[in-house]
Amino acid sequence: MTDPADPGTPVLRLHQVTKTFGEFTALHGIDLEIREGEFLTIVGPSGSGKSTLIRLMVGMDELTAGEIWLRDQRIDQTPANERPTCMVFQSLALFPHMTVGRNIEFPLKIRGVSPDERRQRALELLQLLRLPDDYYDKQIGQCSGGEKQRVALARALAFDPEILFFDEPLSALDYRLRKTLEKELKDLHARTGKTFVYITHSLEEAMVMSDRIAIMRAGRFEQIAVADEIYARPVSRFVAEFMGEVNLFEVSLSASGEPASELLDINVSGGEYPWKNRDESGLLMVRPEFVRFLSASDTADFVVQGSLQDEYALGSRIQYEVVSSTGRRVTVEKLREDRYLGAPGDDVILGWDLEHTHLIAEA
Amino acid sequence: MGASRTTRIVLVLYGLLAIFLLYLPLVSITFASISRARYLTFPIKRYSTDWYARAIESSTVSDIVTTSLKVAVIVTLASMVIGFFGALAFARYQWRYRGLFQKLILLPIFFPQTVLGLALLMWFNSIGVIPSWKTAVIAHLVWIAPIATLIIAIRAYSFDPALEEAARDMGASTGTILREISIPLLMPGVISAGLFAFLLSWGNFPLSLFTTGADSTLPEWLYAKMVSGYSPLVPTVGVLSILASAGIIILALVLAKLLRRRAGTA
Repeated sequence: MTDPADPGTPVLRLHQVTKTFGEFTALHGIDLEIREGEFLTIVGPSGSGKSTLIRLMVGMDELTAGEIWLRDQRIDQTPANERPTCMVFQSLALFPHMTVGRNIEFPLKIRGVSPDERRQRALELLQLLRLPDDYYDKQIGQCSGGEKQRVALARALAFDPEILFFDEPLSALDYRLRKTLEKELKDLHARTGKTFVYITHSLEEAMVMSDRIAIMRAGRFEQIAVADEIYARPVSRFVAEFMGEVNLFEVSLSASGEPASELLDINVSGGEYPWKNRDESGLLMVRPEFVRFLSASDTADFVVQGSLQDEYALGSRIQYEVVSSTGRRVTVEKLREDRYLGAPGDDVILGWDLEHTHLIAEA
Repeated sequence: MGASRTTRIVLVLYGLLAIFLLYLPLVSITFASISRARYLTFPIKRYSTDWYARAIESSTVSDIVTTSLKVAVIVTLASMVIGFFGALAFARYQWRYRGLFQKLILLPIFFPQTVLGLALLMWFNSIGVIPSWKTAVIAHLVWIAPIATLIIAIRAYSFDPALEEAARDMGASTGTILREISIPLLMPGVISAGLFAFLLSWGNFPLSLFTTGADSTLPEWLYAKMVSGYSPLVPTVGVLSILASAGIIILALVLAKLLRRRAGTA
């Protein structure tokens, strides 16, 4: 795993990459630097352009404008079969007419590696992916979903790419298997030290595995940062909402940066605000897990009053929906052991502190 | 809910009747081929396999079978190749007017074969080509290659384009992808198309009638013998022709099964 704070050496650089399909522009001048050995996840909703982007990076499609550089070599005109990159497809694209062993050996066969060496390498990779040796002769059709996933990974690793791309390979699997494979992928990344670029629409997958996350929206990057940074300090309403449940309050800011809102009772002592925005409007953001139920004697930097509307059990957590007198919904999440002991219909006071509050510049 | 006993009996009888009607002509010609009498009468008084010996020894029959076989084999191989690349072009690539082209290519299947045969004969004459078994190959291809394309395309449409992309991504050239991925995966479709092509060509009468010129194929010869000078050689050669077709079908089914097993989809 790379140090997220260290910019590192870029192994792949995209400069003003644009892709259009007729009148439709799928990617608008994308700039991106992928660091050596990092696990970068590109997340975005359907149609955001992430699959188009990955296809350009591996050379499956031609870009309309821009440049792609692999270290000091420009590769955007290099055909896919001459690039030192490899992709694990969403459908896995395992060859159904070949055994597990022949699938894994395929990239080695293309390179003219001898049958004995190919077999040896395939067996090593089966071991690395925790598959028994006798799977070498197994037909692909006889493998389970998780096993197929591992075979696809083994085949991609046999290619020994400089960068390994993943196009939502876990999306078709059930929840349990997906969770197991997310951890295995992260572990595999650590063990191989290779650069992984993963695309998904699942935020959870991105959070579990990545060194950095890039959020895409309508053919542009909204934010690229480490997971904690994106979660705690999103740059836009879209990113804040995409990264999970969030409470956003429209505020106006004074010359000292002090927020003002009709809904919130703000009692920040000292009047020191961490944001630089002044004389503007913005969105104050707090994640539901940082919102507390207050008693009449409790204090908090930001306070809002309302009525408890509903509660939802989310496994180990409980989510509460509180509606203010102006009809504004506020979401609160508590661990099951810290659950609120009242009932829907209760008048409640909610509060949170400045340290868990983030200001998004857009109003 | 299960069917009542009466319903079951009616269904079985209906099935047997259908099979009887389908196979009655074949049974009739088989009896005709082993009857010593010149014309088939029931009950058969004397059985003989003499006509089979005569058919095998006859140089005319041998020439006719050779011509038919030449036409059918060339049509089969050409249809498989044309159908394979045609199916790939339709299923794998996006190009302008693809839909229109696809309809135009498949249209000859629906033309009446006699009209198609006549049109081809007129065309051959107009360009100064003397009709022979070679022109029959072209005529058969005009009708059969689209059918082969259609059969292979069904398979081509069902296979994931990501398989070819994955192979390319791992360094494979177009030739290697064709050899290692596309051909093996489309092979069951190609075999089926080849089987159909052979049988359609082997048994074709209307197109051959107009386009073989002085040469003659098996169905043409059978027809000619029927209308002028019937002998038990006609049903005998007919039975041998059916046996050859059945042999081809069995061979193709075995081959397709082996391929499916190899592909792990059996």
